[in-house]
Amino acid sequence: MLALIVLILRYALMFVLYIFLGWVIYTLWRDLRFQSQIVTTQKIPQITLSLESDVDGTRLSFAKPELVIGRDSECDFQIHDEAVSTRHARLTYRYLQWWVEDLQSTNGTFLNDQRVETSTVIIKGDELRVGHQNILIDIETTE
Amino acid sequence: MNFIFPSTPAPKDLLQSRLMKLTALFIFLCCLVLTFSPAVRLHTWLADYHWEQWVGFAVWICGFSLIYRQVNRSLPDRDPYLLPIIAILSGWGLIEIYRLNPSLGFRQTAWLGACFLAMLVGFRIPQFFTILRRYKYVWLISGLILAILTFFLGTYPGGTGPRLWLDIGGIYLQPSEFLKILLIIYLAAYLADSLPTHFRLIQLLTPTIILGGAALLILIAQRDLGTASLFIIIYTLIIYLASGKRRVLLFSFLGVVIALIAGYFLFDVIRLRIEAWINPWLDPAGRSYQIVQSLLAVANGGLFGRGIGLGSPGVVPVAQSDFIFSAICEEFGLAGAIALIIILAVLTIRGLGIALHAPNKFQRFLAAGVTSYLIAQSLLILGGTTRLLPLTGVTLPFISYGGSSLVTAFFSAFLLMMISNQSEDQPASIENGRSYIFVGSIFLVGLTLVAALVGWWSMIRADGLLLRTDNPRRAISDRYVVRGEILDRNNVVLAQSTGEKGSYVRTLTYPLLSATVGYSNPDYGQTGVEASMDNYLRGVAGNPTTTIWIARELYSQYPIGLNVRLSLDLKIQKQADTLMQGKTGGLILMNAKSGEILAVANAPTFDANQLDTQWQGWMKDTSAPLLNRATMGQYPAGTAVSSFILANYLADRELPGVTPAFIWTVGSGGENSCAVSPGIDPDWASLISSGCTGAITSLMQNSTSTNLTNLFDELGFSTRPQIQIETSTASSIPSLSDVSQYITSDSLRVSPLQLAIAAAEITNGGHKITPKLVSAYQSPMGDWILMSQNTPTAPLTKLDAPSAVNLLLQDKLPVWQTVAQVEDKGKTVSWYVAGTPTDWQGVPFVLVIALEESTAAQAEQIGQELIKNIFVPN
Repeated sequence: MLALIVLILRYALMFVLYIFLGWVIYTLWRDLRFQSQIVTTQKIPQITLSLESDVDGTRLSFAKPELVIGRDSECDFQIHDEAVSTRHARLTYRYLQWWVEDLQSTNGTFLNDQRVETSTVIIKGDELRVGHQNILIDIETTE
Repeated sequence: MNFIFPSTPAPKDLLQSRLMKLTALFIFLCCLVLTFSPAVRLHTWLADYHWEQWVGFAVWICGFSLIYRQVNRSLPDRDPYLLPIIAILSGWGLIEIYRLNPSLGFRQTAWLGACFLAMLVGFRIPQFFTILRRYKYVWLISGLILAILTFFLGTYPGGTGPRLWLDIGGIYLQPSEFLKILLIIYLAAYLADSLPTHFRLIQLLTPTIILGGAALLILIAQRDLGTASLFIIIYTLIIYLASGKRRVLLFSFLGVVIALIAGYFLFDVIRLRIEAWINPWLDPAGRSYQIVQSLLAVANGGLFGRGIGLGSPGVVPVAQSDFIFSAICEEFGLAGAIALIIILAVLTIRGLGIALHAPNKFQRFLAAGVTSYLIAQSLLILGGTTRLLPLTGVTLPFISYGGSSLVTAFFSAFLLMMISNQSEDQPASIENGRSYIFVGSIFLVGLTLVAALVGWWSMIRADGLLLRTDNPRRAISDRYVVRGEILDRNNVVLAQSTGEKGSYVRTLTYPLLSATVGYSNPDYGQTGVEASMDNYLRGVAGNPTTTIWIARELYSQYPIGLNVRLSLDLKIQKQADTLMQGKTGGLILMNAKSGEILAVANAPTFDANQLDTQWQGWMKDTSAPLLNRATMGQYPAGTAVSSFILANYLADRELPGVTPAFIWTVGSGGENSCAVSPGIDPDWASLISSGCTGAITSLMQNSTSTNLTNLFDELGFSTRPQIQIETSTASSIPSLSDVSQYITSDSLRVSPLQLAIAAAEITNGGHKITPKLVSAYQSPMGDWILMSQNTPTAPLTKLDAPSAVNLLLQDKLPVWQTVAQVEDKGKTVSWYVAGTPTDWQGVPFVLVIALEESTAAQAEQIGQELIKNIFVPN
């Protein structure tokens, strides 16, 4: 008799365990379906950098979320200027915006002639000064 | 239940509350089953119930209720699955630990309480991640210092073992556990600070390799190889996830393979582990003991498990920490194991998801790191216990016993919960998310493989595994279930289960039969009839399948055993034992027609009821009391085979008219020696039955070595007798150029049982017989069912058995007989062989006695005395 009760309890606890799992899996699946419905293809708006001094117009466009400006050949946007640090400034895309941030460069980074102290949002038409160079910024507009 | 886990109407809270309630119900039911399990095992309400785990349950539910409320308050946007997952894993583990060892359960409860307190405090620390990130070197280096301290102050809580713990006032800490999480914090912080710049990978990694390598060296020096391999895995995964470069995985994989090969040749530990993994069945009692026992536990679980408290997971070494998964498999079955694996799979998916949604790189790497650590460590030990991977002694996070491990796991879960708490879905940008998908896939594939292997061991291979003799569950069941009785031919009990239910012991009512009836002992295994008839005695053979199934499902035990009847006659057995007292040797009395063994006497022998106290002494005793000399002793045959030589001779020709004339002396082996005195002016009959070497060798002169080896071969001297107790492998029959050496030297060796089988052919008119010790078993309905019968075979044409018997017939007793006395490596061995005549009206029998360090006259005296008693029962 006791063994039968315990057997029923054993099956019951296994049942509860699987209800738990079933519930977890069901809600996860529901969540996934919900997300797939609302998902929007979040694309990084392309950012285009060009040097003001360079009249021929070396324009470089990027579609990645992070790029570094500096004198080093490893940098995404390389500037041959003694006043520019090896790794001078960083542009990042987050919170649906492009941001600029100074990488503790020797001569500083200036956005529209204001020194960049913390991460700052940049928009289309902004002018960025590193060393003696002015960089023009063009950001692709998204609908 | 709403009071314990109150919910707000928000869907996330509702989900979390519902999952917490289900978890609590599950743990509650586990505790309930565990409480009653002792009563189920004893089949009675009157038992010592398990109450200890309720303390654990109380702490667990109060703690999680508090954490739950705190989490709802301070982390409104956390992942709703995390808390239920850690609750169910830690609760399940805690109850299983209580089941295995209540005192460890209390310790684990205390650690759980400490985790709860730390978590409650942790939620209140402002700027938590900033502090973690800023002091990354401080954390890692203090961890390293703690680990180095184990070289000087290390102890092992359980006695002797690897000294990986620090004893702080009775609390044992294992620094390598904390080192793991500190390494993850350091790596996450370092990579988040340094990664954006496109320096070369090697430059980027140099500082981490130095620090990680230092940690690795400490672990390798401490021989904590499980944690060391985990370190390599965690390090590789974090670097790979952060950099997205596949070659990191490739290099690390190659490095591990090279290290493994080097380790295989350099370190014994690694070689043993790998060999035990590749072929565990080679040395199941030694090197691969743990893994084989673990697989036996998994096999015993079956589909739904034996039920908590009803299995025997405690027989697996360190079941509460390294092998807790085998314990869960045994008591919750394949269904439970798959549930546990699904929970880990959900943790994998949620953990990596949290990493992807993290607001900054530090928190992303941190979340990815702790998820990798939790799942990789789980996979290592899950794979180890199911033979997917070589065994590494790491714990199963949240579940295994161990304070440091529990604290580390809870801290990881705490970090994940904190990171998951993002109000706005604005994760840090990511260049390459594929690495997260890849790592997640590897984890999920690994978990699926573990589930498949548990299915393989518990379903497909289970029956074969459970029948193994090194499965201690059989012996444990014997303590709770009455084992069948072993009876003699007149239903007198020879062996039975005595004592109280739960502590039955096997008792021999006539201990002098220990070598034949054998023993069934949890420590020393099984021998004799106890071993050969084990299936009937424990009721798995001869019972209806439903009976066996009900006993297994309801009680996780075997059904009540069936009685087994032997052919032995206890009355004659007692006389034989009395006569053999003080001698060294074996005696066997057998029905010459049916092959039923009526008595097997051994001297000296042992008492199976005193195995536990006397075993060591018997093992060391040079007189070998454990040996069943009657069936296993191999002695030089000497003139004991003269009846066969005579019957062989008479098949072709008459005896010569002239008897060999020597001055006969009584002794061993010489040409003119006789085993016993042949009397004055002896004839052929008395010369042969007295074992006179010269007379018998003269009958062999016409035979070639091939003739004789064929004869002995046909008599069964080169085959191992098949009987329900242990026999020795037969000695091979040598080919001797001087045929007389077959009886003068010690080169032809037989056991008393072999000689009895051959002698029965002489009495039986040349017909071969099969020896038999077990005659019947008693079905559950109470009637006796005979074991298979002998099939009569055609007589051996080579022998003229009736003429030989007539010639060797004695005056004083109605039997034929031969005797022998042989020198065997400086010892004297003597034989007495006798049998009833071919046309005997009563029960035909043969008697064989072999004695060490006694004369043939003494053997003859014992034999004739016993035969007189058989004919004239007193």
